[in-house]
Parts: sequence; C-alpha cells; structure tokens
Amino acid sequence: MEKKDQLFKQIFDTNSKKIFHLCYGYTGDEDSANDLLQETFLKVWQNLDKFRNKSLISTWIYRIAVNTCLTYLRSEKRQAKDELTENIIENRPEEFSEKNEQVALLYKSIAKLEENDRLIITMVLDELPYHEIAEISGISEGNLRVKIHRIKQKLTELYNQHARI
Amino acid sequence: MQEFDHIQSLWQSHSVEVKISSEEMLVQAKKEVNGVRTRSLLNILGMLLSFTAIAALLVFFPFNSWTTLAGLGVIIVSIAVYTIILYLDYRIIARNDFTEHPNAFLSNLKIYQLNKFNLYNRLYWIYAIALSFGFILYFYEMLDNMELWIQISIVAFTIFWMFLCATILRKAYMKREKERIDLLIEKFERISEQFKEQ
Repeated sequence: MEKKDQLFKQIFDTNSKKIFHLCYGYTGDEDSANDLLQETFLKVWQNLDKFRNKSLISTWIYRIAVNTCLTYLRSEKRQAKDELTENIIENRPEEFSEKNEQVALLYKSIAKLEENDRLIITMVLDELPYHEIAEISGISEGNLRVKIHRIKQKLTELYNQHARI
Repeated sequence: MQEFDHIQSLWQSHSVEVKISSEEMLVQAKKEVNGVRTRSLLNILGMLLSFTAIAALLVFFPFNSWTTLAGLGVIIVSIAVYTIILYLDYRIIARNDFTEHPNAFLSNLKIYQLNKFNLYNRLYWIYAIALSFGFILYFYEMLDNMELWIQISIVAFTIFWMFLCATILRKAYMKREKERIDLLIEKFERISEQFKEQ
C-alpha cells in the first residue's frame, strides 16, 4: 500500500500542474478546475494497478482528465463559461494588469471554442507532442494536424476580436 | 494583430498553482464519504442518549403504576429497535472505502439511501405510533396529580412536538439527506462511468 501511495505521490507531483492547467483552460474557473483535478487523480489512484504501460502514464492521465472534463461540464450544467472567465478579472482587482487582462482574454477566447477543440488547443498550448494528443483524443494524427491548424486560426481570430473590443 | 505564438507564450507565462497535495486530495475525497458516516453516527449517538436518559428514569425513579413502567418499557424498546436499525444501516456504508472499492461502495450507498427512505417513511410511522402508545401509558400515572392546565399543556406540547417531528422536521431531514446522498452517488457514478470509457 505504501509503495502505491509513493508512486501516486510521484505521479501527482509530476502531472498535476499540467492537468490543472488543462482543466483551468477548459472551465476558466479555478474551483471547477480543482474539482476536475481531484476527480481525475482520484480515478488515477483507484486504477493505478490496472495501468499496463501500453502508453505513457501522462497520456493515460490526460485521457482520464479529458473524459472527466467532458462529462463534468455536461452533467453539472455549469455556469456559462463567459461569466466565469470574466470573473478572472472582476474577482481579483489587485492582480489587474495588462498581462492579466490578456490572459483573461485568452481564456475567454478559448471558452468560445467547441468543447473538444478547447481540450485539444489546451494540450497544443502546453506543447504536448501531436502523436500524444492524437492518442488522448482518439483522432488520427493526420486528421489532428488539420484540426489543430483550424483551431489555431479560430483561436487567434477570437483573441484578436476580443482584444479589439 | 496577434499571432498564435503570442497566444502560446501568454498561455505558458500564466502559471497556475495547484493548491492541493496528493495526501490532501485523498483525505478530501474520503472526507465527503466520511461526512455521511459521521452524520449517521451522530444520529445513532443521539438515539443512544435518549435511550440512556429514559432507562435512567426507569432505574432511578420509583413508579407505582404498572402503566408507567409499561409506557417507559415501550418507549425504550422502540428507541432500541430504531437505534439497531440505524446501526445496521451505518454498517452498510462503513463496510467499504470508496477509494479502495469504488463499485462496492457505490452499490452500498444506494442500498443505504433506500434503507434510509424506508426508515423515515413506513418504519417511522410504526416508531411514532409505538412512542405515542408509550407516552400515553407513561402520562397515565405521571399527570394524575397535576393541575388540569399543566396536564393539557404537557399533552399538547407532546402532541405538537411529535407532529412537528413527523411532518416538517422529518420531511426536511429526508430532503436534505437525499440531496446529499444523490450528489455523492452522482459524483461517484460520473467518476466510474467516465473511467469505463477509457
């Protein structure tokens, strides 16, 4: 049991930040991202014995996180994402700066994307290799490249639109 | 006009902070489950206190009429039976740890919820009737020497209290408990379902 706990701790320390960022990008809300992070790692802990090294452990965790994100927001019928991202600015006036405003705009732009696209672009932004993203999202690498190109364009467009307002 | 590279650098410059450690995470997950257990235990503890208080009446106070003894006996037995049922229900959720055996815990949680529903519906009325019968017998001797207005006040208060427990308090408790357990079941089901998709 102690060995499992130690292994879990190591996995958590290595992957939690990236998974949290993924969840944060998807929800635009820290509390929801925390919930998703917990759900993901709770499941990782429970199923650690079933992991068979067929893929990288990080890929396995990302797949759990992606599915957790998709089912979480659908079942919870969470608050509209626009409002949440706006809260990033409104709730923390002390942190307000041009950079923070840009970050908030970025989250707002990500929120305008389709649910799956949001997750894919978050992984792209975190520089995950394409073959890993393909494995996590269950899309062929060829199709994924096309999709990523389209999402990048869309995100840039949305960001510039928001920046002009 | 910003390019995607700028967006990427912006994303990477926004550092997020994970505010929970691996130990805290497991503790927190267990805490939600423990909340249901703790409430169940407190419920049992409350019943045990009532049992002790009424048993103390029987032991430390001399009563002349058999009706008082019978009344207290009925009340004590009713409380004891209800407490045992509560304890058996508690054991259902205490048997498994969600983080160790999620499926077994989830099915036990559903059984627990169903049992609770029965306990606060059909069984509750049997319990309330038994308690009322016990009180009627108990009051027969106890109120005998009191003034009429005190007799009426005590009986009226008892009826009011039992009515309050059987209606507003019971329904509110059931509603709150159902919401809590539903939320837990929903959460654990979502976690389990999500993993089946892997």
